[in-house]
Amino acid sequence: MRTLLLLLVTPLVLTVEAATHVVRNGASLAAAIARCAENDTVLLKSGTYAEGTITIARPMVLRGEGWPVIDGGGRGEVILVKASNVTISGVEVRGTRVSDMNDNAAIKCSDGTNITLRNNRVIGCFFGIYLSGVEHALVSHNRVIGDAAVQENRRANGIHLWKCSDIRIEHNTVMHHRDGIYLEFVTDSQVANDSSAFNLRYGLHFMFSHRDSYTHNVFHDNGAGVAVMFTREVTMTDNRFLHNKGTSAYGLLLKEINDAVIERNTFVDNTVGLLVDGCNRALVKDNTYTGNGWGVKLYANSSATFKGNTFGGNTFDLATNGDLLLSTLNGNSWDRYRGYDLDHDGLGDVPHRPLSVFGLVTERMPYAMVLSRSLMVNLLDQAERVVPTMTPAGLEDTAPLMRPPEKANLTVMRVLGCEGENGQARTEAGAVRRPCYASTSTVFTVHTRTLFRLYLFVNCIAFFTCALSNG
Amino acid sequence: MWKVCRYTLLDLLRNRSAVGYTVLLLLITTGLFMLEADNTKALITLSQVVLAITPLLTLVFTIIWFYGQYEFTVLLAVQPLRRSAITQAQYVAVTGALLLAFWLGVGLPLLAWAPGATSLTLLAAGSLLTTICCALGLWIAVCQRDRAKAVGIGLAVWVLLVLVWDALLLWLMYSFSDRPIEPLIVPLAALNPIDLARMMVMFRIDLAALLGYTGAVYQDFFGSPGGTLAALSALLAWTLLPLWRAVRGFQRKDL
Repeated sequence: MRTLLLLLVTPLVLTVEAATHVVRNGASLAAAIARCAENDTVLLKSGTYAEGTITIARPMVLRGEGWPVIDGGGRGEVILVKASNVTISGVEVRGTRVSDMNDNAAIKCSDGTNITLRNNRVIGCFFGIYLSGVEHALVSHNRVIGDAAVQENRRANGIHLWKCSDIRIEHNTVMHHRDGIYLEFVTDSQVANDSSAFNLRYGLHFMFSHRDSYTHNVFHDNGAGVAVMFTREVTMTDNRFLHNKGTSAYGLLLKEINDAVIERNTFVDNTVGLLVDGCNRALVKDNTYTGNGWGVKLYANSSATFKGNTFGGNTFDLATNGDLLLSTLNGNSWDRYRGYDLDHDGLGDVPHRPLSVFGLVTERMPYAMVLSRSLMVNLLDQAERVVPTMTPAGLEDTAPLMRPPEKANLTVMRVLGCEGENGQARTEAGAVRRPCYASTSTVFTVHTRTLFRLYLFVNCIAFFTCALSNG
Repeated sequence: MWKVCRYTLLDLLRNRSAVGYTVLLLLITTGLFMLEADNTKALITLSQVVLAITPLLTLVFTIIWFYGQYEFTVLLAVQPLRRSAITQAQYVAVTGALLLAFWLGVGLPLLAWAPGATSLTLLAAGSLLTTICCALGLWIAVCQRDRAKAVGIGLAVWVLLVLVWDALLLWLMYSFSDRPIEPLIVPLAALNPIDLARMMVMFRIDLAALLGYTGAVYQDFFGSPGGTLAALSALLAWTLLPLWRAVRGFQRKDL
């Protein structure tokens, strides 16, 4: 394969004699670029080049050595690329103009193909790297660092893509911008191994960006976490969503996302780990939720499949907002699970009901959080777990794992369809696991349940009266 | 007063129930940390145990101890001692003993396994609850002639503080959910010392969730100097008021 490629490329190299123009400190970068023929290289030596907006209008390579600084001087864009086959690497860009009218960026590419932006630094700019209408580009190993002291309305997105396709965004670091990585109408692209942190709004924000994949990224301490909307066929695997806390902060917010695969992600210490709103056919598998306020908020308008997820140390594992149930939970591991496993197949014999009454109460009255972990609230939750009256009865994990998946038996995972695609085996396992008292509880009418609760309450009163009189 | 206090304290340290209380707390704490691999989870369970059990046992212990001590107290009362000094000395002694038990039973293992802000908050909350419940227990014991009745009242107070108060709050929230009741909730909850202690601890543990909704309300209360001052004065009032009533009660009591 490689020799074939060489054979293809060699004639190109022979026919096009690419010249290298060396620009040293004090010389004009714009003049050197103007002198360039197609596919020439401009080698920029270290120094500061403040020449306003630099426009690249033909295929070329701009390479920096010793981190030359290209300073726009606050006059607008800094590097404007209006051609295909352009590579920019090793430069440091500063000095965009903050504007309410124009999207001024440190490096802006419009309507080209084959763009490579590698190993650059963008420091304290309005927009960082901005691709518009670009096809087939690589944005990798860039550091896009905004100004932490600047207000939100003076900030813009770190890496901003609009109407692009076939883009790879890899190994970049984005900090202190408005949105870290922003994609709109960007299709068939990969975002991998990036780190997006301390941004005022979202670490990653995409809309209408179909068939993209997001892997091995880290999003932490962003104002509102990660929000993704109105998109089909998205794959998000092995990402980490950490420490996104605030009134409307989410580790990952999915809104109107269809056919998404959310796999092996880690959600730690977020106000809401994963919020699923209006999503169809989402597969949420093998994720870990630890120490979040809400592990998952699953709205009733969504249909999702939860398999092999691990919940631990969250204030609420799962919350929902209605009785309609289109989602299935199967074979997840819950640290609150108190069931048993008599046949030792690694699956609990009693289904787990992850919804708590208190979760429902706080959904309606947020200020009820002051009663969090009160003994009374715990009793209420326990009573609800035994005799469900308020929480939707169907929302339960029919075959909860006894141990977190990494320790769980592999055959168990296979039965559940977590390893391989065996849907039938899964439903069979689910049917077998249904315990007797849960099915009888469905026979209970609401009336008898209320009576039963009253009976429990009277019992409690009687107990304490006994305690009083015997003292 | 200090002499009485010292001898009472020395006597308390040999009290079998006090030692039992220490051992029980020690067992619960070490057991939790040994059984639970995840320290945070152990801490959560422990905080629930501490917030429920410490007030109960402290109340009951103080009441029973007062009656056990009764003859000695009468003996003290015939000495040229002020009655208020006797009650104060007894309060300081019993609080000191129970605080010691709490720190030995919960504090030591906690600092060994999970040192940190949450543990310190839990210790502070537990200590505050101990001082408050000692004062309450003493008040109840002084005012009642019958031991069984006093223990009954102690249990009732515990149920009121732990269960009924929260139930009432929840009912209030439900009934007035259409009205702007939000600013009332935290102060109302703070009137109950156990709730206040619980909120202090939960502010550490459930921070992520709290920031979601009531962050503003909580932060207003615990984050602002005024709120902290109000919380501290509420806790102080919960200690001083029963203690004052106990002292007055003992002064007027027909022994």
